[in-house]
Parts: sequence; structure tokens; C-alpha cells
Amino acid sequence: MAAATPLHLQNKPHHHHHRLSSLFSSSLPFSIKTTPLSTSKPSSLIISSTSNPLLSGRKLRAAVIGGGPAGSSAAETLAAGGIETFLFERSPASSKPCGGAIPLCMLEEFSIPPELVDRKVTRMKIISPSNLTVDFGKTLKPNEYIAMLRREVLDSFLRRRAETAGATAITALVTSLDLPSSPASPYVIHYNAGGSRHSLAVDVVIGADGANSRVAKSIKAGDYSCAIAFQERIKLPDEKMEYYQDLAEMYVGNDVSPDFYAWVFPKCDHVAVGTGTVCSKQNIKLYQRGIRERVEPKISGGKVIKVEAHPIPEHPRPVRIRGRVALVGDAAGYVTKCSGEGIYFAAKSGKLCAEAILKASEGGLRMISEEDLRREYLKEWDGKYLVTYRLLDLLHRVFYGSNAAREALVELCGDEYVQRMTFESYLYKRLAEGDRWEDAKMVFNTFGSLIRCQIVGRDIQALRV
Amino acid sequence: MGTKQETHVVALETEDPKGLNIAEQEAKFGFNAGSSTTTSRDAKDDDEAGSGLDTEPSAPKFSDERWKNGTWDLNMFVRDGKMDWDGVIVAEARRRKFLEMYPESATNQEPVLFRSSIIPWWAWMMRSHLPEAELINGRAAMVGFFMAYLVDALTGLDVVGQTGNLICKAGLLVTVMGVIFFRRAQDFDSLRKLADEATLYDKQWESSWQDQDAGDAGDGDSGRGGKKI
Repeated sequence: MAAATPLHLQNKPHHHHHRLSSLFSSSLPFSIKTTPLSTSKPSSLIISSTSNPLLSGRKLRAAVIGGGPAGSSAAETLAAGGIETFLFERSPASSKPCGGAIPLCMLEEFSIPPELVDRKVTRMKIISPSNLTVDFGKTLKPNEYIAMLRREVLDSFLRRRAETAGATAITALVTSLDLPSSPASPYVIHYNAGGSRHSLAVDVVIGADGANSRVAKSIKAGDYSCAIAFQERIKLPDEKMEYYQDLAEMYVGNDVSPDFYAWVFPKCDHVAVGTGTVCSKQNIKLYQRGIRERVEPKISGGKVIKVEAHPIPEHPRPVRIRGRVALVGDAAGYVTKCSGEGIYFAAKSGKLCAEAILKASEGGLRMISEEDLRREYLKEWDGKYLVTYRLLDLLHRVFYGSNAAREALVELCGDEYVQRMTFESYLYKRLAEGDRWEDAKMVFNTFGSLIRCQIVGRDIQALRV
Repeated sequence: MGTKQETHVVALETEDPKGLNIAEQEAKFGFNAGSSTTTSRDAKDDDEAGSGLDTEPSAPKFSDERWKNGTWDLNMFVRDGKMDWDGVIVAEARRRKFLEMYPESATNQEPVLFRSSIIPWWAWMMRSHLPEAELINGRAAMVGFFMAYLVDALTGLDVVGQTGNLICKAGLLVTVMGVIFFRRAQDFDSLRKLADEATLYDKQWESSWQDQDAGDAGDGDSGRGGKKI
């Protein structure tokens, strides 16, 4: 097999192929390509494994299971790259319970048309357990905002775009996934569509089916701890809705959540009031009542139009790739701590995984292996975002631990530098340019606030006894 | 309860948006819930379409004569011509404790404006750091004296000789480090839990890169969930 395949070089002109291929191809399974004859600067050593066989007579087949942001982005990228793609979605019309906030960079990177945006949130308020309120948006420029969308609108737009790019959309519930018996045999997907059972054989599977991923179960990817997010959609009278025109609120406190925050997010014509927790799921109704009471004057007179809940993963699954199956989005557990942001990372991971498959298979010509997925997708992803995830985990642990820490958090958020840094990193997903001196002051203030609030906290404990 | 004072309050006559009056109440710091006033909530009943919120007497609202317009009136904390920062800290602790027990809704009409940063740093130190430092230093002095006597009795090295001896100096270093990190018995546990927690998230991310066989056991369930001590 190795002798027949022309060896692939990424940065050499093609005529070198034949000269070198005769030297290597017959003897070694791997070929080491160097550039001994070129006069340009020495390029990096490229080890291309020729054990990736060429597919004869067909393109690589890929199935993306789950038609949310992650699945649709993956399907679109795959289809546009020339791979035969199948996108499975069990209920295209339903809306997943979600905060619905996406950063600015997602609008640009994924070319989301502005008509989809319901609201542009330009102001945020953070409220501490003792009701200290901080305006968190003073540093936003006029063209910066947090976009609020309805999930059903966004999801269907992305799915339609994937179909236009060439993906085959299948409305079906995937029931099981058969793992291949040998390295060359395909994965078989069993699904229910139109009341009958079907199956489909594919080479690569991307699992984008969310927190209760069936794909993850099939490949025994392991479990993760989930938070539960519970929210009520409340339609407010007009004058109350005016207040939430472009304002989102975040509440912290033991009465609203022991390890997360509660929120009031404005949607198209109503607000979503909700909370979440990891460690105390059985008391979620209590916490919901807590947030309702905290927001009481601002939502009184409103009517609850929908109640919804959904699990949110807290950290990645132990196994994110097995064989030629990769998990992306919520199925992989790419939700950040502290803010609970998941839409952007889902879409981005879908895109990255698809790009990895395209690269490893050279546009659908070759079969890929688990090693390719690890190298091109997992490594890239971890390299790009691990720091972000770790930092947010640290913030979560430090500031969501106790009421004292939450008070410190809100105090710190009053600082303009903190606000600027936070928004820059959130909106553009890049490490913001910081002033060393201001950084030092911020660290100093952090410790100061934490210490002060701990002291008051200890007094509170003393009063209890 | 350590301090049981009766704070005479001039209750804030407030009208919330629905036009209800929260009448004057005398809040004893025994937190007698019975003294709270019942406010009519019929007007709000039609809000909850099956959300399960039932009518109940509203919780006592925090009132203190020194708490005005969402902040502490510092003029009322002056004692003998000097500012009583300690009193401010205690009052703020009381307020936060009250709100922990009876959370209030965050209104726009009476926003909380008090920031603890207006209390100067030395007031915090005098309240929290100094008493504990005094305690620890006192203990250290007593232990030190006794150990010097004991070592002298056992080895014959007097204090001057002990300070020159390497073993004694090493022992002193270990003791100092120990006292700093393990001030109370529960510090052992907290530090261990801290170390565990600090590395848990990393482990969860790294597990994808570990050997497949190790991951097969399905041991990825870090279902502790609760991350707080």
C-alpha cells in the first residue's frame, strides 16, 4: 500500500515527490521528508504517516449527531470542504433552554446576520448578597454589546447554512452507534426516522448531541458532573420591560445559588429569570424562589410563560476522542466555569474538529485515525483554550465559595479596569492588553477585598454563635 | 447569641411599587419573626401562573437608625470625638447577617451604596490581625521558654549554645513554618482539601490524554459536585 501512494509533502513543489518517493516508499512505513535540495530556509521536519490509506472511489463519510451550534458548524465546515456529511437532529423545531448570550467575536467568526439578534445588552448589573449593586458595563464602547438571541432562531439558521453547504440533514433520533470491528470498517448509526428504523454506515462520527450525549455513552467516554440550570420565562408589563431594555442582571448569594449565580436576562419580549447549581440540585426550586423574591419589585405583575431546565456540564469528559469518534460542544463538556458560557465554545469546537478532519483526510481523500484527531483537534483546542478554562475555574472557586467571597467579587467588579479586562476577554476571546501598574493594583485590591470580606464574614459567624 | 441588644429603630416608611406600606416595626435582635407585619399580597397573586409561590407574611426588613439611604451614616459612629471604625464593621456584619437570614429584594428605590473600602486599612488590622497575632506570639513565647529549658536539661546546651547549634536552628525553622500554616487543627484538613481542589480541574482536562485503558474504567465521574468546603 505504501509504495503505491504518492507521499504527501506540505511545502515542497510536486516534482520532488517522485525522486524521493523511490528512495523511501519501498522500505519504510513512515517517510521522513526533508528539504535537502531547496535553497530556501530549512523547513520543519514533516513526518507523514503513509498508513492513512487512500479511499478508493468515494469521499470520506462523516456523520454529525446533534444539530445545535456545535453540530451545525461542524457539518458546514465538513460539507464545504468536500466531505460527504450527514447531520442528525431529532427535533429541529424545539428550543433548547439557554441563556442565549453570545459574544461579539462569534458574530464575526461565524457570520451571524444582525437580524437574528433580539437584543443588544449594553449594561449589566451585579448584585451582591447584601444587595450592593454595581454597574458592570461602564467601559463598553458604543459598538460593543452582548448579543441575545433565541436558540431556535440561531440553531435553525446554522442548520440551514450547513445544508446549503452540502450537508444532508436528517431529522431522526439516533438510538445507537455500532463501533467498528476492524480498523477499516465503518461506524453504523441506527436511527428512527418517520416511524421506522434505519441505519447508516459512516467513517467518522462527531458527537454534538449535548449534555446527555448518546454518542458519548456509546464510546464509553465517561461521566462528568453537571450543573442544573433552571429558568422561568416571564412576560412583564411594558413599563417594567423598559427597565430591562438593554440590561441584564446577575445575582449572587447563598439564597439564590450556593455555587453559581442567578440571572435576569432580557429576551425578545420577555425576561428569563433563572438560577443554577451543581451541589444542591434537589433544592433548585428553593433557589428559584430566592431569585424571584430578590427581583420581586422589578418583575411583579409579570406572568410566567414557560418553565425550563437543562443540565450544564462542569468540566470535560475523561475521554473526548475514541477511534474515529470525536465529541464537541456540550457533549465534550466545553462549558466555562464562572460564567457558564457554552455557545461560542460549542460552535468553535465543532468548526475546529471539522477542520482537523479535513486536514487529516486531505479534503476527504483519505481515511483518518484517532491519532490525527488527537493531534489536529484535541491538541489545538487544549492549546488554545485551556488557559481560559483554568482561569475561569480559579475565579469560580475563589469567588463563588461563600457569601463573603461574593461580596468581595461585587466590590471588585466596581473597578473600571476590572470591567474593561473582563469585557475584552469575553467579547473577543483574547487576552486583553493590560497595563502592568493597573494589573498590580487590581491584584492588590483583590486581596484587600477578599480579606475585608473575610473579616466581616468571621464577624458574621461570631454573631451566629 | 453573644450580644443581645435592643436597637431602637425608626423604621423607614417605604412604599414599594405596589403601594404597600411596611409599617413601623421594632426589630429586636432576637429576630422574633412573630413581630413582622403581614402585608397584603393579594395584588400579586395573579402573577404566579402555577409557579407555586404562596402568600406569606413578609420577612422583617432590616432597619437601623444609623443606616440611612443605603449607607451607614458615619457621623453616628463618632465616640468621644473619635471615629469608631470597629462599630462600623460590626454594624455592617450585623446587616449582612440579617440579609443572609432574611434576603431582601434588590430595589432600585433604595440601592445599597455602602462600600467597605471606606474603612481604613489600620482599622481592619486592629480588629482582626492584632488580636490573633497577640495570641500566637504569646503561645510561641511560652512554648519557646519551655523548650529552651527542656533542651538545656536534656543536652546541657544553654540558650546561647542552642542558638549556635544547627539542629536546634532547624527545629526552630520547622516549628515556625508549622505554626504559620497549621494554626488550628482544622487547617490540616483545609490545606489538604485545597490541594485536592486546586488540581482537580487540571486532572479532568488531562484525562483525555491519558492511556485509553485507564479511562475505560469509567472513573471519570468526579461526581462530588460540591466544590465548596
